[in-house]
Amino acid sequence: MMSIPFFGFFFAFAGILAGKRGFAVVAFALALIVTLVLFKLHATDPLNISL
Amino acid sequence: MTLAMSPALSRTLNALGLLGVCAVLAVAFFDQLVFGDLPCPLCLLQRAGFVGAGVGLALNVRFGPRPSHYAMMMLAAAVGCAVSVRQMLLHIAPGDPGFGDPLLGLHFYTWATIVFIAIILGGALMMLFDSQFTFDITPPAWSGLALAAVIFALLMALGNGVSTVLECAGGLCPDNPTTYQLLEDGTLKSLFGR
Repeated sequence: MMSIPFFGFFFAFAGILAGKRGFAVVAFALALIVTLVLFKLHATDPLNISL
Repeated sequence: MTLAMSPALSRTLNALGLLGVCAVLAVAFFDQLVFGDLPCPLCLLQRAGFVGAGVGLALNVRFGPRPSHYAMMMLAAAVGCAVSVRQMLLHIAPGDPGFGDPLLGLHFYTWATIVFIAIILGGALMMLFDSQFTFDITPPAWSGLALAAVIFALLMALGNGVSTVLECAGGLCPDNPTTYQLLEDGTLKSLFGR
């Protein structure tokens, strides 16, 4: 699942190489959203500190 | 007053920036493959931030510079920066050795924060030059530098994707990965009969 952003951005680069700007922008947006969702899943890891 | 920069010069600078982002990803990959320093989940998300910033740069290289392309680059860098700052805060407690081996005295996530901030500032500086924005409908012809930079970035995105599949299989990655799950559990071995 954590590979999805990389493949999304890969498709964006492929779209750029193929001259498809709209496709690249959509692939970028989806990949960035997935990155944010994955960050939300990991950002709440507890801080390992005893006070 | 309009600061002058030709679209061609802007595309060249964006291609060089894209190569710089690829170099950052290549260093991380080198550390992973040569020294066996497997990336943690937050490390992977920072790499994704770099690759995303590279997409904005590549759009400038291919279709000519646009404010929206710079915005995409800076948004991806901001996401990556948030992840790297979060990881710095996770290891900010006194006595915490940090995650992974340091490079030139700083951990990779600290370097990542510095580079992400540099990308955001660089994007803002580039956007000061209004004369680069022509909004041509037909994309300019590829230069050797531009094509090499975009292909390099595409390969880095693909390489990181494949590496992450091998490391984490289909789910979320372990917080402190030590092995490539897909290679370790025999799935690939059984698939290829070896």
